[in-house]
Amino acid sequence: MADLALEVDHLTKNFRLHREKTNSIKALIAGRGRTKFDEFTALNDVTFTVNEGEVFGVIGENGSGKSTLLKCMAGILQPNSGSVRVHKRMSALLELGAGFHPELSGRDNVFLNAAILGMSRRDIASRFDDIVDFSGLGDFVDAPVKTYSSGMYVRLAFAVAINVDPRLLIIDEILAVGDVSFQQRCLEKFVEFRNEGRTIVLVTHAMNTVKDMCDRAIWLTHGSVTGEGDPADLVEAYTEFMLGTRGLGADGSMRRGSGEIQITSVELFVGDGLQPVKRFRTGDSIRIRMTYRAEKPIPKPVVAFAIESLGGATVTAPCTRDVGLIPVELSGEGTIEVALDSVSFLPGTYDLHTSITDFNRSHIYDNLHLALRFDVMSGKPYESEGLVTIRPQWTIA
Amino acid sequence: MTLRSAAAHRNLLYLLSMKELRTRYKKSILGWAWSLLNPLTQMGIFTVIFLVIFKAVPQIGDPSGLKNFPLYFLCGMLPFNFFSISVGVSMGAVQGGASLIKKVQFPHEHLVFSVVVAQFVTLLIELVVLMVAMLFAGNNVLPWIPVLLLLLVLLAVFTTGVSLALAAANVFYHDVNYLWGILSQILFYATPVIWNPATVGVPWLERVANYNPTGSFIVAAHNLMYDLRIPGIGRWIYLIVFAFGTFLIGAWIFNKLSPSFAEEM
Repeated sequence: MADLALEVDHLTKNFRLHREKTNSIKALIAGRGRTKFDEFTALNDVTFTVNEGEVFGVIGENGSGKSTLLKCMAGILQPNSGSVRVHKRMSALLELGAGFHPELSGRDNVFLNAAILGMSRRDIASRFDDIVDFSGLGDFVDAPVKTYSSGMYVRLAFAVAINVDPRLLIIDEILAVGDVSFQQRCLEKFVEFRNEGRTIVLVTHAMNTVKDMCDRAIWLTHGSVTGEGDPADLVEAYTEFMLGTRGLGADGSMRRGSGEIQITSVELFVGDGLQPVKRFRTGDSIRIRMTYRAEKPIPKPVVAFAIESLGGATVTAPCTRDVGLIPVELSGEGTIEVALDSVSFLPGTYDLHTSITDFNRSHIYDNLHLALRFDVMSGKPYESEGLVTIRPQWTIA
Repeated sequence: MTLRSAAAHRNLLYLLSMKELRTRYKKSILGWAWSLLNPLTQMGIFTVIFLVIFKAVPQIGDPSGLKNFPLYFLCGMLPFNFFSISVGVSMGAVQGGASLIKKVQFPHEHLVFSVVVAQFVTLLIELVVLMVAMLFAGNNVLPWIPVLLLLLVLLAVFTTGVSLALAAANVFYHDVNYLWGILSQILFYATPVIWNPATVGVPWLERVANYNPTGSFIVAAHNLMYDLRIPGIGRWIYLIVFAFGTFLIGAWIFNKLSPSFAEEM
């Protein structure tokens, strides 16, 4: 049984989301007993261990609690319950160059930064040349940090962090900094660390890195551990899950619903045209053609679509039931066509969403969000503002 | 615990203090001269008010016999400034350390300690200049310097305590910062910097001057540098209890609050 480097034991972390942050005593007293806040659980009963010498990955979508977990491990945040036990000398790289002072020279900042990371003066002095070497700064090390390029800044910061000589390194998404050659050097350093039997905890969105470098990983969803184990399996499950909830993906559309009947395509035609288009002019006559496919006969379906402006305002949202068009049932494949004579949309970009529901509009068979995005160009009538024209007839006497 | 971590992180404290000192007068032509100009200006203003406008008689040093308002003023003003500036800057240093506190785990109290250390160095430089002026005025303060240093250390301990408490509280409620602006003014006038409690002749005012937190230190400073005598044993006991009591309370508050800094900022 390998030595443990890190133990996370039933870790729970809540944040208070103040509706209005009360940072004054008056507000505190005035709002006493009815201070409003929502509690938000960032981490919910998270338990795992990291063995010495392991490269351990943490994956999860944005807002899943990865950063909170990292900050708890680093001792920056205090958990509400549970505990984190760190058994090795730890260095947490959450942000490179935190605490650099722009007016001080690179040399002074190296000493200060390393001291903040917990190094003694003697250790820093003995490693100083290594640090400057790795950063590749050369003589610039005696110039004030404010004169550095962002690349130099990051290189120096990384050089300090890596030379703290941690047995346990916690890294948040920082492989993505610097130019290609520096990234290569960082990667080499990590491999070196791994080969030396040091422990690395890596939080990243780069799935290839997780697959290639990690020995084990966990997957966080909404603050809870969804999966733990072999990185390749986990990455596969995670990728599938992410795409599953995000619908068709490629064009940004998103599908919900039970799926017995689905809109398979949405096309737009201008006038009598046979080629589908994505743009037309105000005043054009257009047709919207939806193709459906039903796995089984659907009785009395209601077909609807909605057109939204880019700003999110619903311009129109008609459905078949409103006009008394109630098919007895739809089955197999077919098309639904909507003709719009002399459209009133004013120039801009619009999104079209479609849906098929049951007669009561309570059960959703299919909802295709962002089925089509189209542009309207200026035509007749022309108006410079608004979403639609009501074709006003002006008279000025 | 604050004291133990302070010992373990001597290096960090040293470097942070150096940063405070080195970056303070960057990009200014006069540099460190500014640290002397401020108290000298205040001295000039109050000398005019005191001697010219109010035609008051300067305090006579007992037993030194010195009769010099500007010097009397500086003996009180310099230590008082050290105290009030340290507390104010400490609050800013902790608040300004937010980016660090949120990203790195380190002993937060060093942000405060380094401010006090840097201000203490400034105070010592200012006092050296004052000593030279004293010698020119015929007041031989040199034998009293060791005792004076003891007093200054007690003042620094007291100042650290107040700084820790207020800097921590200020993270949660910024009112503390504004409150301090008012409080330090009240303390300034309650402290015998521009006036002399013995000559006012109002007993309760005399007690306020002698026993308010900063007043008790400043009276002792006057004794040592202006009057050239060692304060009584009673005052020393009072100062020691006051300094360490304040420090312990301040450290307790800071330790209680600092784990939540990252979340609150």
